Amino acid sequence: MTRTEFLTKLKAGLSDLPASAIADIVADYETHFADGAAAGRTEAEVAQALGDPERLARELRTEAGMKRWEDSKTPSSAVTAVFAVIGLGALDILVLLPIVMAIAGTLVGFFFGAVGAFIGGGALFAAGPFMGLPGGAAASLLGGLGLMAASVTVAALTAAVTIWFVNGIVWYARLHYRLLKPALNVQSA
Amino acid sequence: MPEPIDIQLKKGVLGLCVLAVLARRENYAYEIASLLSGAIGMGEGTIYPLMRRMQTDGLVETYLVESSSGPSRKYYRLTPAGHQALKAQSDEWRGFARAVDALLEPIAEPAEPQPVNEA
Repeated sequence: MTRTEFLTKLKAGLSDLPASAIADIVADYETHFADGAAAGRTEAEVAQALGDPERLARELRTEAGMKRWEDSKTPSSAVTAVFAVIGLGALDILVLLPIVMAIAGTLVGFFFGAVGAFIGGGALFAAGPFMGLPGGAAASLLGGLGLMAASVTVAALTAAVTIWFVNGIVWYARLHYRLLKPALNVQSA
Repeated sequence: MPEPIDIQLKKGVLGLCVLAVLARRENYAYEIASLLSGAIGMGEGTIYPLMRRMQTDGLVETYLVESSSGPSRKYYRLTPAGHQALKAQSDEWRGFARAVDALLEPIAEPAEPQPVNEA
């Protein structure tokens, strides 16, 4: 493989990263080729020693995804981190997917349940006093407020558990990070 | 293809090796990769994901050095956290290596357990 082929494959594998991040990474490998040439090695030798550019791109993308998650805990960075980890093949999908799906589904369910309860509480608070519900207007007002407060609590707890859950996945992936190519071959064989 | 035990060992100890190399001398990635691929047979390309990860974890930091020929070069050095990690991990490694070495030594006195007849 020539230097150009290697860098093209690497860039293709990194294409969903921000342009500045790609430029940083590509500069590292360009320097590596230049240093190799200075040490009297051919492009093919350097590329051979570097390893598979597509696999390197996957690892670098995972690293970037995890960093984004650590920097900002947003839903989109959580999705990026989880998918980057899956792309790395660091999680055994067949074993873990049902578990992950179940937990993620439960969390989503709790979240929407909380949203629904909040809206319900709001409706009870606003409309209850005029509907002649048993217990009178005060009960409707207090009940509506209580329901809204409870739903906010549930939503906050759900968010905390979700962050903890994604952290757990990232931690697990790092533990199983495949930095050496032979490791990848052996474990997938 | 190397044996799995070989891979698992190298995988676990690669970060420690980078910390040790950088503790000797602040260095740039090509040199680190050359040293490690020579010493423990690591793929050179893996140094870059590893350095990024160590940077994310706050173990190393980078700085640029002007070069007389060509563009300035990116050097890596250990942070205080990196020095601490090196200390902790090398202690762990030495203890582990000592324990394994002791197990690999043939036993001096023949204290062979007698085989027990199993029912």
